[in-house]
Formats: sequence, C-alpha cells, structure tokens
Amino acid sequence: MELLEHYLSLATKAIFIENILLSYFLGMCSFLAISKKIEASIGLGFAVIFVNGITVPLNYLIKEFFLNEGALSWVGVPSLAMVDLSFLSFITFIATIAAMVQLVEMLLDKFSPALYNSLGIFLPLIAVNCSILGASLFMSERGYDFGESAVFGVSSGAGFALAIISMAAIRFKLKYSNIPDGLKGLGITMILTGLLSMAYLAFSGINL
Amino acid sequence: MKFLRNLLDKVEPNFIGNGKYAKFYPLYEMADTFLFTPADKTKNGPHIRDAVDLKRVMSFVVIAMLPALLFGIFNVGYQMNPNGELRDNFLVGLKIVLPIILVSYTVGGFWEMIFAVVRKHEINEGFLVTGMLIPLIMPPTIPLWMVALATTFGVVIGKEIFGGTGYNIFNPALVARAFIFFAYPGAISGDRVWTVDGISQATPLLQASSQQGSQALELLGNQFNWWDMFYGFIPGSIGETSTLAILIGAAFLLITRIGNWRIMAGTLLGMVLTAKLTNVLGEAVASSNPMLFLPAEFHLVMGGFAFGLVFMATDPVSAAQTDRGRWIYGLLIGFMCVIIRAINPAYPEGMMLAILFANAFSPLIDYFVMKSHIKQRLKRFAA
Repeated sequence: MELLEHYLSLATKAIFIENILLSYFLGMCSFLAISKKIEASIGLGFAVIFVNGITVPLNYLIKEFFLNEGALSWVGVPSLAMVDLSFLSFITFIATIAAMVQLVEMLLDKFSPALYNSLGIFLPLIAVNCSILGASLFMSERGYDFGESAVFGVSSGAGFALAIISMAAIRFKLKYSNIPDGLKGLGITMILTGLLSMAYLAFSGINL
Repeated sequence: MKFLRNLLDKVEPNFIGNGKYAKFYPLYEMADTFLFTPADKTKNGPHIRDAVDLKRVMSFVVIAMLPALLFGIFNVGYQMNPNGELRDNFLVGLKIVLPIILVSYTVGGFWEMIFAVVRKHEINEGFLVTGMLIPLIMPPTIPLWMVALATTFGVVIGKEIFGGTGYNIFNPALVARAFIFFAYPGAISGDRVWTVDGISQATPLLQASSQQGSQALELLGNQFNWWDMFYGFIPGSIGETSTLAILIGAAFLLITRIGNWRIMAGTLLGMVLTAKLTNVLGEAVASSNPMLFLPAEFHLVMGGFAFGLVFMATDPVSAAQTDRGRWIYGLLIGFMCVIIRAINPAYPEGMMLAILFANAFSPLIDYFVMKSHIKQRLKRFAA
C-alpha cells in the first residue's frame, strides 16, 4: 500500500507537475513537427510511452550492473570490482535507446503500416529525442531504484503523450483561425506551447 | 439620432474605396455598427434568421455582469470602512474600480484597433466582454500599469494573434490574469492578502488553508460565515465576491440562452463530487490539510468559483463545442478547481487555473466526442 502510494505520486509528478515537455521543454522537435495531425500524435505518444517504459528500467539495470563504480563485482574477478565505467553512461544510454527504437520501428512496420507511414522520419528520430534520453538521465541523476525507474519511464512518456495529443487537437482547431502570415505554422505553435505550459503551471507547487 | 446618422453618412466616403482615410475603415465601421443596425444583408447560402448577433450576445453578457460589478464597487468601499454609509462606500469603491475599468478598455481597445487596421478585419464586440472581465478578476489593489500590461498580453497573445474574436484557444481574460499571476505573484493579491489603505486582510480561501492540522471551518470561524460569503461581504477580486450577484447574472444568461447550461451544470457537479471525494479521502487518511475538509457549499461561495463558473467557463469560443463535450469540460473544471485548492499549497485559488487548463483540453474533448459520434452513426447504418 505504501509502495503503491509512492509510485502513484511519482507518476502524477512525472505526468502533470514536472511534465517533461511543458516544464522541461525536452523533446520539442518531434512535438512541434508531429503535432500537426491528431492520429500521428497519438501514435507517437504511445511509441514514446513504450520506448521510455522499456529504456529507462533497462538503462537502470545497465547502470547498476555494469557502469557504476564497483558494479562489476558480481563477475567475481577482483581487478574488475573497482572499475568505474560511469563515464560511458551517455553513450550506452543512447545505444540502448537506438536499439529500442529500431525494435519499435520494426513492430510498427509489421503491425500498423499506416501509422508507420504517417510518422515517417520522426519514428527513427525518436532515437535522438531529447525527452527519451532525458528520462534516462533523470533516472540516473535522481537515483531511482528499478521499480521507480519503470514507473517514471512510463509516466514521463505518458506526460509527453498527453501534451502532444492535446496540442494536436488545438492545432486542428487552429485550422479555422486567421493567424497572421508571419506566425503561421511553427510560430503560433511555439506561442501555444508557452500558453499550454502556463496552463500546466496550475500543478506547480504541489508537494507529493 | 438623425444628426448622428447624417454625420456618419457625410464622412463615409472618406473611409471607403480610395477615400482619404480608407486605412481606418474598421474605425468607421465600428462606430457605425455600434450606433446603428447595419444595412448589409447576407447574399447567398442558407442562414439562420434570428435577432441574436455577436453584438447582442456580447452586450447581454456585459449586462449579466452588471450586478457583480455594482456589488463589487460597493464591496471595495465596504471592506475599507464596514461602518460607512452605503453611498460613501459606493463612491470610494467607484474611485478605485473605475480607473481599472477605464485602463482595461482603453488599452484593450487600442490593441484591438491597431490589429483591425493593420490586418483589415472589423473591430469585434468581443472586447466589450473581455475588457469588463479583466477588471472584475483583478484585486482592487492592483497597480494600473499592471492592468495595462495584463490587458495587452491577454488581447495580443491571447486573442489577436489567433485572428481576433472567435478564433482564440484560451479565454483572453484568463490569459491576462494568469500572466499577471505568474509574472508578479506578490502583487496579484486577490487570493492572498487583500490590502486597501494599509489594512491587510486574508481572503477566506487563504484563511481556510492557513493552518495545518485543523479544520477549515474552524479556521474560518466567526470571521467569515456562509451567508456573508454568499452575499459577498468578503475581501477578494472586484467581481468575484458576491455569489448572489453572480447568480442573478447567471439567471439572465440562462434565460437568454447565452450561457450554456450544460457547462454550468457540469462544473457545479464536478465541484460537488470532487469536494465530497476529498472530504471522504481526508477523513480516511486522517490528513492534516484543512482544505480537504471544506464542504462543497463553501467551495461554491469562496474565491472565484462562482464567477468563473458563470462568466469564464461558459465562454463559447474557448469551451468545448459539442453537447457531451460540454459536460466533460465542465466536470473537468470543477474537478481541477477543487484539486488545486485542496492539494496545491501554492495557489489557494484554483478556479482561474482550472478553467485555463480545461481550455487547453477542450479541442481534444471535442475531437473524441466527435469520433464517438461518428462511430455510433456508422454502427447504426451498418445495422
């Protein structure tokens, strides 16, 4: 019960209070580019949830059993026990993410070709999506344990999905607006992102 | 009247075609349609024939706000001198509130005009409402330059860059209020401490959340009882204190069918349910947070809930536009309002942020409601 409550508060925090898109502004490139279409945004949102939900705990395991100082002691070789590989964490995190994205891409291509086509180049680009690497780095910086990193991975992805889907719906409505030429497209989207993150400020200050 | 008509007709050639002031046609058009019914008729296509146009809708909303405004003016004076004469209180309040309204209308009108002239669209009556809403949700102690800044941000960023009235995503008055709220948290004291002439007073919401480990009702104590808060003799933003005056406006909006009853009912229902839920939950975990125990009828009369429910949530542009969507939108506002009030210690006032948040989600709500409609229809035709 205690644990469940803890996970619940962690999830709420990652989705609403510290939304990875609207309060850290990570993952803006795919957010701005994909939010043009609602269906594609839903697809990308779920892809990010999936990739994040797997890479963050995976990276936790890698960090815990390979990279941290003394992590290799389970091998049993005394000279390895003191090795500190944490300087490799960036590159290994990125490698894990790239591999996972490849997997998602193949799965989507096989099971949902329509979504695969509508996501286009942005699906492989999740590999360099800052919000995914960001989630892994937050995990390592904040010292989450395995359960926490799994919850954090899924819910930070869910925060991303919620933000991008609501933005896509707003941009769908914007089709009927009469926006000045200079602001059409990305300009108005940036301003909207600011207004949206102002709306999310309603949660800032909640202590869980 | 004849004189005005003649004057307008005389200057008209200057504003049309190649006239001297053709650039400023929106100004002429505004004066003309504001004073007289336009003679233009729609030329083709089917149209709804009804006396209600944008001008009338907007004017009706302003009329509905009048009770809240008049009471607000009186209350500003009353808070400074509770024993004073009614007339004196009113005059004192007028001296504080009138400049705020004037600044809001002047600055907002200025931006409206610039955009209309440069972008060659008409000056809409939408600003009549926004320009009145902004003063009503400001605390009376607000410096006038902040009103000007807030109005500028609300009108330009909240509305005009989307194309003007009817195209905006967020309610411009709320954008203005939220901007000031986050940019100058110390000054927007409407939900915190209310200072007039050096006397500071806590608003009921602040009072009720002031002490951990005790009951909200005890904290309110004798200082604020329910009926006082219902009539509105409490400190707070100018237009939001009197639930009674706001309800009169709500009745007017509902009878003229300008405010949507589904949104109002949804918001009220969402608030009541969530308040009951927090009451039960607070009891279950024996929480020390006093706001969790605040009963629903107190949520209704405290802070900006009633005002937001009647005048802000029902804004037809930024709200959800499908019937089922309106229910969901209202429920979301009521839910968010209580949640922010109860569990966010940073903001004792939750209503404005709750509506802003729901504004952000209303297009999404509409989208899913429409999707489900399409699905139902398809099923019916397949059968």
